[in-house]
Amino acid sequence: MMLSLRLLARDWRSGELRLLALAVVIAVAAVTGVSWLADRVAGATEARAADLLAADRAVETTDLIPAEWIERAQSRGLSTAQTAVFPTVVVTDRANRLVSAKAVNDGYPLRGRLRTQPALGAPEQLAAGIPEPGNVWLESRLLGLLGVEVGDRLSLGARQFRISAIISFEPDRGQGFGSLAPRVMLNHADLASTELLGPGSRARHKLLLAGDLAEATAFTRALSAEQGNRIEIETPSEQGRGAAEIIEQAKRFLGLAALLTVIVAGVAVLLTVRHYAERQIMGVAVMRAMGATRRQVLGLFTGKLLWLTLFAGGLGAGLGYLMHWGMLLIVADLLGTSLPAAGWQPLATGWLTAGAALLGFALPTLVRLRNAPPMRVLRADLGGGLLRAGMPLVVAALVVLGLMAWQAGDVRVTLSVFVAVGATLALLAVVAAGVVYGARAYSRQAGQARLLWLSGFTRRPLTAVIQIVAVGVGLMSLFLLAVVRNDLLSAWQAEIPPDAPNQFLINIQPDEVDGVRETLAAAGVETQFYPMVRARLTALNGEPIAADDYDSPQARRLTRREFNLSWTGTLAPDNEIVSGDWWGDQANPRPQLSLETDFAQEIGVAMGDRLTFASGGSEVSAEVTSLRSVRWESFNVNFFVLASPGTFNDLPQTWLTSFYLPDDETAVLNTLIREFPSVTPIDVSSVLRIVRTIIDQGSRVVELMSLLTLAAGVLVLLAALQITGEDRRFESALLRALGARGRRIRAMARLEFWLVGAIAGALAGLAATAAGMVVAEALFNLDYPFRPLTIVAGAGVGLLTVWLAGALGARRYYRASPMRLLREG
Amino acid sequence: MASDSAAPTDLANGSSSVQSPILQAQGLGMRFEAPEGPISLFEGLDFNIDAGDSLAILGTSGSGKSTLLGLLAGLDLPSAGSVIMDRHKLNDLDEDARAVLRAGRVGFVFQSFHLLPGLTALENVMLPAELAGDAQAREHAASALDQVGLTPRRGHYPAQLSGGEQQRVALARAFITAPSILFADEPTGNLDHTTGEQIINLLFDLNRDYGTTLVLVTHDQAVAGRCAHVRYLREGRLMATSE
Repeated sequence: MMLSLRLLARDWRSGELRLLALAVVIAVAAVTGVSWLADRVAGATEARAADLLAADRAVETTDLIPAEWIERAQSRGLSTAQTAVFPTVVVTDRANRLVSAKAVNDGYPLRGRLRTQPALGAPEQLAAGIPEPGNVWLESRLLGLLGVEVGDRLSLGARQFRISAIISFEPDRGQGFGSLAPRVMLNHADLASTELLGPGSRARHKLLLAGDLAEATAFTRALSAEQGNRIEIETPSEQGRGAAEIIEQAKRFLGLAALLTVIVAGVAVLLTVRHYAERQIMGVAVMRAMGATRRQVLGLFTGKLLWLTLFAGGLGAGLGYLMHWGMLLIVADLLGTSLPAAGWQPLATGWLTAGAALLGFALPTLVRLRNAPPMRVLRADLGGGLLRAGMPLVVAALVVLGLMAWQAGDVRVTLSVFVAVGATLALLAVVAAGVVYGARAYSRQAGQARLLWLSGFTRRPLTAVIQIVAVGVGLMSLFLLAVVRNDLLSAWQAEIPPDAPNQFLINIQPDEVDGVRETLAAAGVETQFYPMVRARLTALNGEPIAADDYDSPQARRLTRREFNLSWTGTLAPDNEIVSGDWWGDQANPRPQLSLETDFAQEIGVAMGDRLTFASGGSEVSAEVTSLRSVRWESFNVNFFVLASPGTFNDLPQTWLTSFYLPDDETAVLNTLIREFPSVTPIDVSSVLRIVRTIIDQGSRVVELMSLLTLAAGVLVLLAALQITGEDRRFESALLRALGARGRRIRAMARLEFWLVGAIAGALAGLAATAAGMVVAEALFNLDYPFRPLTIVAGAGVGLLTVWLAGALGARRYYRASPMRLLREG
Repeated sequence: MASDSAAPTDLANGSSSVQSPILQAQGLGMRFEAPEGPISLFEGLDFNIDAGDSLAILGTSGSGKSTLLGLLAGLDLPSAGSVIMDRHKLNDLDEDARAVLRAGRVGFVFQSFHLLPGLTALENVMLPAELAGDAQAREHAASALDQVGLTPRRGHYPAQLSGGEQQRVALARAFITAPSILFADEPTGNLDHTTGEQIINLLFDLNRDYGTTLVLVTHDQAVAGRCAHVRYLREGRLMATSE
C-alpha cells in the first residue's frame, strides 16, 4: 500500500491524475453537500419530534374540549393541558396583522419547553409558565411588523392585552415550512372574553396528554370509540410525518440531482482513466519484465485508487460541507429553527461515492493493465487491444444504476430516472452527432470551409460529440432552473387578471354577512358571499375512510384534515361540468354533490359514489352527481366539493368573500376588523410573495447543484482536451513547420471551441425550453411562450464557457515552438 | 562454426558444460500464425550460457533476435523447445511464476530506454527495488545513479534528459537489484556513435563489477565484438559467423 501511495504521489506530481481527482472531488461535493443538508434538516425535524406535539398524545377537535374529558384523563393519572389555535387579526394604534393566535392553560407545554425573551435582543430564558391573564406573548417578528415593544398594548377581538414577553421558541409551533402567520400566545382563561370563537370558527382545540403511555393510549382509544371521526388523535410520530415526507422527497430529488453530477463526472473519470491507462501500458510492461506479478500490478493500481478515494473523497466532502452551508444560508429563513450539529455520516457517504466512482469508473479499465504483455518492452506492437471500452462501460452503467437505487431507494423511481437520463444523453448525443458529422461532410467538399476542415471539430468527431453532450447536460440543468423557473412564474403571473381578488374575508358568521356586505359597499366594493362548511370526510359508500388507505401524500392530507365545502345553485363561470348534470335547473334539488375532477381522482371517488361528511357532531351523506373542472388560476373562491342548496343546512357554517382592493384603499379592512372582530382578512398578495420566495430559494439550492454539474461537464471537456493533447501538439508543430502562422493555428482551435460550446449551449437551451413547455402546459395548464432567445442565449453561454475553459486547457498545446514540440515527441 | 549441432553448445568452451549453465535453450523455436500461413521465425536452437559469460546476438531487422531475447528472458513462451533459467524450466511456469523468477534475477536495458515519464531519474531507478520490497530503495538507487555519474540529474524527468543520460538511468535501473543476468536490446540503437560507445563502456564496466551474465542483441558489429561470444541469427538459425 505504501508503494502505491508513493507511486500515486509521483503520478500526481506529474499531473497525470489531477483531472481524474478533480472529477471525483466534484462528484463527492455534490453528493455530500446534499447529504449534509438533508441530514441536518431531517435531524432538526426528528430531534423535535418528541416535542412537536408538546405532549405524548393529543386529542384534536373543532369544538371546545368538554370538561368531562379532562376529568376522565386526570382520573387515569394523566397530566393535561388545553390549547386553542386560530387565525385572527391583532390591532394596534398603528397597524393590524393576520396572526395565528394560541390560547394555552396551565401546564402547557407538557413536553418540551417554551423559551422567551424579556425584550428584543435580551438573552433567551426558559419560560416559567404561560402568559398571565390580560397578557400576551408575541413572536419577535410580530413586534417589528406591528411597530410595538414589550409593554405596549394591542387588541385581540373584543379585548385589550399587554405584551409581556417575546416567544423565542415554541415546541409545537408547527412543521418547519408551514405556519406562515406569526404567533400571539394568550391565556386560555382570556379566550372567551375576546369573543373571537363563534360557531364554525377555524379554531383547532387540543387536549394535551402526558404520563403513562399505556394509560394515555387507553384513554384516547376509548375516546375515539365514542367520538369517531369528530376527534383526531395525534402522536409525536404522526406529527413529524408531514414534514418528514416533504424532507424525504426533497432529499431524493436533490440526491438524484447530485447523481447527474456524478454521472457527468463519471464520464470525465472514464476519459481520463483511459488516457492514463494508455500511458501506463509500457510502464506496466517494464515492471512486469522486471519481475512484477499480475497480482502486484493489480495491487498497485487498486492501491492507488484506494488512496485517491481517501484523498479525493475527503476533499470533496470538505467542499460539500462548505456547499451545504451555502445552501443552508439560502433557505435559512424557511427553516427558522436552530439545526443539529453536522454529523460524520455524510463524510462516509463521500468516501463511498468516491470509492464507487473510482472503483466503478476507473478500476475496470486499470484492471486490464495487469495483462499488459511483458514482451511489449521489446515489441511495441503488442498489447494494442488491451483497453477495449466495452466492459468498463457496462460496469459504469451498473454503478450508476446502483448509485441511483441508493439515492432513490425505490426500484420504479430508479429505473425511470435511469431510463430518462439515458434517453436524454442518447438524444443529445444523436443530435450532436448529426451536427458534427454534417459539418464534417460539408467541410470535405473541395474548397469549402478550409478552417473547419482543419479544425479538430470535424477531424475528431467522436471527441466533439462527447464534449457537446457533457457540457450540454451541465448547461441544460442550469438553464432548466434559471430560465424556465422565471418564465414559469411570469407565465403564471400573467394569467392572473389585474383585478383578480387579492383580499379574502373568512369566518364571517351568518348573522354578520349583511353587515360586512354593507361596510364593503360603503367603501365601493361590490362582492359575492359564499357559505362554507368545514367538515371531515368520514365515509365513502358507507365504508369508513382512513388516511392510511391512500398512497399519495396529497390524498392522505385531504382525508386527514377537515376541508372546506360550499353550496350554490349557480355555477361560477370558471367552473365547467365535465361529467354528470348540474342541479341548477331543478327547483328543489335533493342533496347531491359536485366534485372537482382532480380531487375526485385523488381520493378515488367516481360518479354515483356516496360521501359522508362530519362536522360539529353532525353527519351528512350525499351522492356525487357531477364532476367539474375548475380554473384555479382565476383566483376566485372555488371549492373541491360543492353541494346542492340545503344539503349542509345541519352543519355549522361561516361565510366568506373575496374582492380586489388596491393597495392604497386598505382602510376599509381596519373598519371591518373593528366592527366584526371574528372576521379574518387574508391578504393573498403577501401569500403570493411568500410562495415566490419559497420557489426562488428552493430553486437556488438546486441551481447550486447545477453549477457543479456544469463544472463536471467542463472537466469532461478538459479531459477530452488532455486526451487529444498529443495530437494537437503534433498537428500544431507540423502546421507551423509547414508554414502556418500561430494566429491561424489558434483560430482553428478557437473555431472548434466555439462550435462545441455553441452547439452544446443551443441544445441545452432547446431542451430546457422544451421541458419548460411540457411542464407548463401539462402540469400547470399555463400558456408558455416558445422563446427562441433562450436557445440563442444558451448558445452564447455555452460558447463563452467552452471557449474560456478550452483556451485555458489547450493553451500549452499551441504555445510551444515546433522544435520543442518535436523534441518532446 | 554452426551453433545448431545435435548436442547443446556451451558457448564458453565449445563442449558440453560440466558446471550448470545459468541459461539453456533447448530446441527453441518460434512460429507465428500470419494470414498467408504460419511463419517460422527460428527453430531448433540449442545453446547454453554460463554464469558471468557474455553473448551477443547479431541479426538484421526482422530476423527475430528481439523475440529470441524475450524468450530467453521468459517474457514469452516458445512455440517449440524450452528455456531453462537458473535450473527452472520456463515452460513449466505460468506468466506470474516467470515474473517471480525474473524479479531480482534479471535486468533489462532497452533500445528506447523505457523510463517512466512521470518519474524522476532517481524514482525510475528505485522502482525495481521498490517492487522487490527493498526498504532502502532510495539509498540504493542514489548509489546506482552515482555509479553511472548522474547524481546531479537525479531529480530530472526523462524528458529533461538527453538520450545518453536516459540510457545511463536505464543502466542504473538494470543494475540496482544486482541481477545475475542482464538482457540488453539494442542498447545503443537510439544513440549517436560517441554516446553509444560511452554507454557500452559503462555497460561492460558494470557487467564486470557485478559479475553479471550478459545477453545482448544488436546489429552493431563493434558492440557485439565486446562480448565473449558472438552469434548471428539468420534464416532461423544461429551461426558463428556472418556468412
